[in-house]
Amino acid sequence: MSDALSEREEPTGASSGLLANDNLVRRIGEVVAGLFLAVVLGVLGWTVFSEVDPDLLQTIFPRFVTAYLLVIRIVIVSSILSVSAGIIVGLARISSSPLTSNVARGYIEFFRGTPLLFQLFLIYFGIPSLWGTGQFPISDWEIPAAVIGLTLNHAAYVGEAMRGGINAVPDGQMEAARSIGMSRVQAMREVILPQAWRNALAAIGNDQIILVKDTSLLTLISVPEIMQVFRSVNSATFDPWTPLVWVCLFYLAVTLPMSKLVGVLEARADWGSDRKSLAKRLGSRMPGGGTS
Amino acid sequence: MSKPKPLVEFVDVNKWFGQNHVLKDVSFSVDEREVVVIIGPSGSGKSTLLRCTNRLEEVQKGEIHLDGIPITDEDVNINHLRQRIGMVFQSFNLFPHLTALENVAAGPTKVKGVDETEAYEHAQELLNRVGLGDQGDSHPNELSGGQQQRVAIARALAMEPQVMLFDEVTSALDPELVGEVLDVMGDLANEGMTMLVVTHEMGFAQEVGDRIVLMSEGEVAEVTESDQFFEQPRTERGERFLSRLL
Ligand SMILES: Nc1ncnc2c1ncn2[C@@H]1O[C@H](COP(=O)(O)OP(=O)(O)OP(=O)(O)O)[C@@H](O)[C@H]1O
Ligand SMILES: [Mg+2]
Repeated sequence: MSDALSEREEPTGASSGLLANDNLVRRIGEVVAGLFLAVVLGVLGWTVFSEVDPDLLQTIFPRFVTAYLLVIRIVIVSSILSVSAGIIVGLARISSSPLTSNVARGYIEFFRGTPLLFQLFLIYFGIPSLWGTGQFPISDWEIPAAVIGLTLNHAAYVGEAMRGGINAVPDGQMEAARSIGMSRVQAMREVILPQAWRNALAAIGNDQIILVKDTSLLTLISVPEIMQVFRSVNSATFDPWTPLVWVCLFYLAVTLPMSKLVGVLEARADWGSDRKSLAKRLGSRMPGGGTS
Repeated sequence: MSKPKPLVEFVDVNKWFGQNHVLKDVSFSVDEREVVVIIGPSGSGKSTLLRCTNRLEEVQKGEIHLDGIPITDEDVNINHLRQRIGMVFQSFNLFPHLTALENVAAGPTKVKGVDETEAYEHAQELLNRVGLGDQGDSHPNELSGGQQQRVAIARALAMEPQVMLFDEVTSALDPELVGEVLDVMGDLANEGMTMLVVTHEMGFAQEVGDRIVLMSEGEVAEVTESDQFFEQPRTERGERFLSRLL
């Protein structure tokens, strides 16, 4: 039966032509990738060479640094707050109490279901107007508003990631923890959450990288961040390319180390699965092997 | 030897999953230092009975006692009681983020509040006892199934339970790894541990088991001394069960 099948498969394989050859497919991929790289580098190099003004590049640098430092501070605070709040939202979401889990669900649906810009406007314009003109007590409200908006929004995404991470832990883990006398809360803290965190880490890392890029929206609530500097330079000089170089580099300067960090955290949480362990496992499976 | 006293008692235990009557008036007891082996066809309620014994499942009618304490009573502190009942699962359920040694020490340090040094020394002794003294630093995914299951036994023993429950602990293992786990269980029985064992390993049931409980469709079909059972079961259902094994 299987012989007949494989014989019949051969002509089909051959008739699918070029794509039947794995090596050839790989070559084609490389040619396409190489062409892509050449075009991008060529166009980009030519544009930067012809459009970017080195003097202006130098002049505007300090303004970008100032904006960059502000963005970094907003990111650090919002990141810590949104991950902490998100863990709580995730726990609330899986609560056995319908009230708690539905409140968490409503929270998540609202903040994922409406645009971040709407949420920022709600906080930045909406809240002060409740006080009546000129009565709102907080000056420079745009910075707290930015942090609150980013935190509330991303706590929803982190909450969903944590919920998924917790649900991915097998039921047997909770049962094993309870069977040695742990309470529910203890089992959560000692057994479920460390594993849920590992499961959710990639999704949370992704979300936090998006948070960094979301700070570009803050220009619309008057935060003097990187896009704000771009717009001001561009409208004064009519030269978009020169400030855009800094915009691009400044965002990558935050996001690239972040994805590196996520990778490191993930590797660290990959409990004991290295080469050595694979060898050990194989050894112990072999008859008369490592098993004591 | 003094007269053994019942350590675990099942009194008319009834359990439903929805409409499904899974345990029907189950009554028998396990004496101190006794090994009782529960056998029976798939779906006869063996796992459910063990899970009710440490309240991973709730009983709807009837009672289970441990050393005279009604486990099934709503008011008992189940977290305290569970410390006195060790449980080993078919799928090991070791904590993957902890090393073997940390798995064994987790209960004593986190639940009992035993001093770390003392707990880790004791954990190391237990690993030695199950033949894994040199694997303390390994994580579960670095161990074979048989090794993981022996760590799981050590983890349960670390709480110094009065009774150990085993639910088909060798069913998920490659055949060549079954022996090492059964050996550990046999040693434990010889040391006088009270054990309630669900297994399909009839050799183990005959050699190590003191009494056999045959379950069938949620009922206890018979409770018989193990030598007697394998020679001549008391009931027709026992005979049918044995003949199907041949
Ligand atoms: N969580 C559950 N929800 C609903 N029904 C269940 C649940 N667990 C078990 N059952 C049902 O209870 C009955 C007894 O199951 P149990 O797992 O106790 O059998 P078992 O004797 O251990 O079988 P096996 O030898 O296959 O492990 C079965 O009909 C099963 O479908
Ligand atoms: Mg079962």
